[in-house]
Amino acid sequence: MLLALLLCYPGFAGLCLSMDRHHAELLGYKPTARRRSGLRLGGWLLLAGSLWAAIAAAGWAFGLVQWCAALMLSALSLVLLLPYQPRLALLAAGLGLLVSPLAALAQ
Amino acid sequence: MKEGFRQSMAWLHTWVGLVFGWLLLAIFLTGTLAYFKDEISHWMQPEVPSRSVSNETSVILAQSYLQQHAQGVSRWFINLPDAREPVLSVMWQFPGKPGERGAFTQKLLDPATGAELQVRDTRGGEFFYRFHFQLQMPYPWGRWLSTAAAMLMFVALISGIIIHKKIFKDFFTFRPRKGQRSWLDGHNAVGVLVLPFHLMITYSSLVIFMSMVMPASILATYGEDSRALFNEAFPATSNAPAAGRSAPLVQLEPLLQQAREQWPGGRVGRITVNNPGDANASVNVMRHGGDQVVRDFGSAVSFDGVSGKLLQVAPPQSPIVAIRGGFYGLHMGLFAGPLLRWLYFICGLAATAMIGTGLVIWLGKRQLKHAKSGVTPFELRLVEVLNIASMSGLVLAVAAFFWANRLLPVSFAERADWEVNSFFIVWGLSLLHAALRRGRKAWVEQLGTAALLLASVPLLDALTVPDVLDGFLVHGDWVRAGFDLTCLAAGLFLAWAAWKMSRPAVYPSAAARSRRAVLETEVI
Repeated sequence: MLLALLLCYPGFAGLCLSMDRHHAELLGYKPTARRRSGLRLGGWLLLAGSLWAAIAAAGWAFGLVQWCAALMLSALSLVLLLPYQPRLALLAAGLGLLVSPLAALAQ
Repeated sequence: MKEGFRQSMAWLHTWVGLVFGWLLLAIFLTGTLAYFKDEISHWMQPEVPSRSVSNETSVILAQSYLQQHAQGVSRWFINLPDAREPVLSVMWQFPGKPGERGAFTQKLLDPATGAELQVRDTRGGEFFYRFHFQLQMPYPWGRWLSTAAAMLMFVALISGIIIHKKIFKDFFTFRPRKGQRSWLDGHNAVGVLVLPFHLMITYSSLVIFMSMVMPASILATYGEDSRALFNEAFPATSNAPAAGRSAPLVQLEPLLQQAREQWPGGRVGRITVNNPGDANASVNVMRHGGDQVVRDFGSAVSFDGVSGKLLQVAPPQSPIVAIRGGFYGLHMGLFAGPLLRWLYFICGLAATAMIGTGLVIWLGKRQLKHAKSGVTPFELRLVEVLNIASMSGLVLAVAAFFWANRLLPVSFAERADWEVNSFFIVWGLSLLHAALRRGRKAWVEQLGTAALLLASVPLLDALTVPDVLDGFLVHGDWVRAGFDLTCLAAGLFLAWAAWKMSRPAVYPSAAARSRRAVLETEVI
């Protein structure tokens, strides 16, 4: 469940940054087309990876439920964090990515 | 009157949301609390010690207690303690007259010693759970009303998806401090981001009450005899009538291991003994409800009550019954461990917040139109009063329920009923208060009082049940500590909300901006 969460949150952050408006708000400039599609692809891959992580850790029945919960929680916390603490929101995504290999090893 | 599809859906969303919003808010908040039903019950019965003992020990103690106290009855029920509910509960049923159900007696035992526990009489978390679908109304009216509310919730969800033009473009959008705009952003954010939960919980509630809501499909499959579905969903375990000859009951404890061998990795939840002490006795060992996502009510192993021979293992569910069990299991979340349980709780709060923000938006938009004249029409005032009572009033009532649990004397007659009464009295008073005070003042006063009551729950707990620190430190009663801390956090959040409400809008341009935003918004 932890690994799924650690992958979901950066996944959503990537998808968020792949949108012009949010990229400009958070980083101050508009992304290039390549950067945009890279972020989008990375975001989707991370979400898919978290689905795999949840199912690998807990089996299909529990894994799917846990994955849905992780999706909702990470999207909700990202959206609530963005307007108040934009830096923290991005920092958390980076941290999540950094820690996820450790969590994968532990799993 | 040429209206587009989207406009008519917007109309539907607006009015369904308003008329059923207050009821749905109460259903969702109490349902959310019911995810911690056992934990709330544990806090409300502090006399129950928090200990972990093996199922085997509990069963031995339960059997010897029942053999002393419940001879010659028709059935025994033994509920084994688990991590969430650390109490051993035994119940027995007296033989009823023909065509009538015999009366039940329930006792709570200490799972480590088998001694009868003297606990305060309370409904505990069960109150929220029951209220959430029975609405404190006589059967079947409450169930009908909550089922109707669930159906309209489904309508509101679907129409909400249709009228939301920019689900993906605005997926990550939340703009605080912009008045009406922020409320709509918040409503959309909790609506869209937690949508899987909203759809699951609403649809599954309809599946749970399927026989009331959609009898046609059951009638088509099972004919007039709708018992057949229930027999398939809740298989009647072997239940031979008493022979009338007495025979000693088998030792129950070894049967646990035999039953567990049928379910790899499974736990035992309940044991029922039919005709204990009779030659025709039988024992059913039921699987713990939290073992699987798909709820299977029939997951039981039956034994002969005299010889202890394994009689039958319930077959796996048929696919249709398993789908029903799946929705049932997902709705109740019995399988959820601590982390997932908290996520369920947060999702429930998000759903409650979605309904609450929707009600606030409805009123806010209409109040803006009358802001200049300063006169509020009666219908808007009515909505305002109901909004206040249904949100801050309900939270206040929940706080009052917890306080009543600690303040009513343990020996007080009918104290469980009076706990419930204090919930409804305080809720009623909040309605009266909201009607008497002006809008913002009523909000601030009710939120402030609720904040004070909830934030001081840990203090109340420490003062009224003196061993509180001992409970945490020596016995590691983290459930009680968690309850206290959650109440404290809720109190702090409400204090923040009251503080926000107490300041008049400090952004002079915000009103103008939001008026423009309202005009720009497609959803009216």
